[in-house]
Amino acid sequence: MYKMVLKLVVFSMVAGSLALVGGCKKSKPGADLYGSGDNLYGDPLMGDTPMNDDMMGVPADGDRSMFEPLFFAYDSSQVNPEEAGKCEDVAKHLKKNSGGGVIIEGHGDERGSREYNLALGERRALAVRDYLISLGVEPAAIQTKSLGEEMPENMGHDEGAWRLNRRAVFAIY
Amino acid sequence: MNRQWFISGALLAGGSVFAERVIDIRGKGQGKIGISLGSYRTGFDAASKTFLAVLKADLNRSGHFSVTSSGGALNVTGACQAGSQMKADVHVYQVATRKKLLGKSYDAAASSARGLAHKVADEIVYAVTGKKGMASGKIAVVGNRTGRKELYITDMDGKNMRQITKDRSIVVGPRWTPDGKSLTYTSYKRGYPNVYMTGKGKPISSHGGLNASGAVSPDGKTLAVILSVSGNPELWLKSLRTGKLTKRLSSTQRGNEASPCWSPDGNHLVFVSDSSGRPQIYIISKNGGRASRISSSGTESVAPDWGTNGYITYCSRVGGKYRIMVANPVAKTVRQLDADWADYEDPKWAPDGRHIVCSRTSNYRSSIYLLDTLKDSPVALISGSGDWYSPACSP
Repeated sequence: MYKMVLKLVVFSMVAGSLALVGGCKKSKPGADLYGSGDNLYGDPLMGDTPMNDDMMGVPADGDRSMFEPLFFAYDSSQVNPEEAGKCEDVAKHLKKNSGGGVIIEGHGDERGSREYNLALGERRALAVRDYLISLGVEPAAIQTKSLGEEMPENMGHDEGAWRLNRRAVFAIY
Repeated sequence: MNRQWFISGALLAGGSVFAERVIDIRGKGQGKIGISLGSYRTGFDAASKTFLAVLKADLNRSGHFSVTSSGGALNVTGACQAGSQMKADVHVYQVATRKKLLGKSYDAAASSARGLAHKVADEIVYAVTGKKGMASGKIAVVGNRTGRKELYITDMDGKNMRQITKDRSIVVGPRWTPDGKSLTYTSYKRGYPNVYMTGKGKPISSHGGLNASGAVSPDGKTLAVILSVSGNPELWLKSLRTGKLTKRLSSTQRGNEASPCWSPDGNHLVFVSDSSGRPQIYIISKNGGRASRISSSGTESVAPDWGTNGYITYCSRVGGKYRIMVANPVAKTVRQLDADWADYEDPKWAPDGRHIVCSRTSNYRSSIYLLDTLKDSPVALISGSGDWYSPACSP
């Protein structure tokens, strides 16, 4: 057993250093993943190398069940007055719980391009962020994350579904 | 009329790209060239049969040819045979003059029959028309058949599919790097939307907030990317060497920017901005300055792609449907491609600068289609097993 572990360790060290060497020789033609003449005849492996960044300590997830999401009009990132009250509850909570924070997740409906909806979702999240800041929440306690049209709440394809999908969700951490 | 428009524009952009050769069939409004493969011989093995079938399909799909078993202005002779290695001799003659336009021997592993057929198809297209073919190209595409949104690559005919990411996350908006060796894409694999490049573990853009739509410049040095690091989604340039942000090209406190794409010479970018109230298409110099709007029709226009032919294709919402547009940024003209009742989105120029690959959505299912800007009918390339969308064609 011990031997096997040792073997694994050695193997991964060798593999790791090979990967490093590979990384340094980026400019060598054909050493790359795509495009060389071989590309016509074979399939390069585009395996992912392991991740080792840690998002600078920013929390990636939180509890979404504590507060109601905020809804938006089509192609709009304006916080509607009738929705704004939801922010006040969140602001109260955040001011009481220092050390915690919120990830505001901005979403859109399925219409329009996915990339445009990513930007729109971010603007929705940022509009809510601005509103929370105006209510006295520390900016450092508010992250934004746009999910565009990628994670609909309702899978339908009519205005009833779209209305529910144009939203900002509060994930509390 | 449409064709007239296209060709006058092709003069502006195409001349420098491809040398003119031998026979000019397009441009004079004639039909397709008949090309006979009836006397081409194959062995009884599967690989050489695949080779011939794929070659015929590629030649038909190229838009230049009509493949026949006899007759035709061109005759292809030779033979293909495979054991573990395959060998193909290909000779293309112009029947009327008996002139040999192509004569070559190819070797490849038998497992590469498809790849070899694509290569031969492109060489025949070039030998006969002087134009670049598309058969050897690749399509990157996002699919959800696993329940997650992963990145896949197929050949230009939609076959030979390989799954590239296994992140169990969400991939958005893949693009090829200009050398055709890698892809950039947005992924949530570490929680937040960051821009990644295949083969690199760390994100190439991971600022606070949104990182999306990363597009590498033609010289490979600069990433155009949408960031919200300044408090609002804006178009930025980032040095790929130093990782530093070098320029902010937009500052629209009341607007979103999205989907940058470089001009072929790398001096300009086309992108989406909704600073006018609705998303529209704009061009800006890489040095900054005022952006000029190029889209006029449709309530909203998104997803521009600037081809090496000089034309920009994008998607407009017209009469409640998503339609593919082709714009000449120099002459400032735009034309809408004919389409049925389905929605057509995310157009990308194929490597031949004539066809467009896009997603087609009907009954809420998306598949990938090939459109011809001249006259051929649309062809389904990738469909079934979930939705397929956001295609990107290799250069």
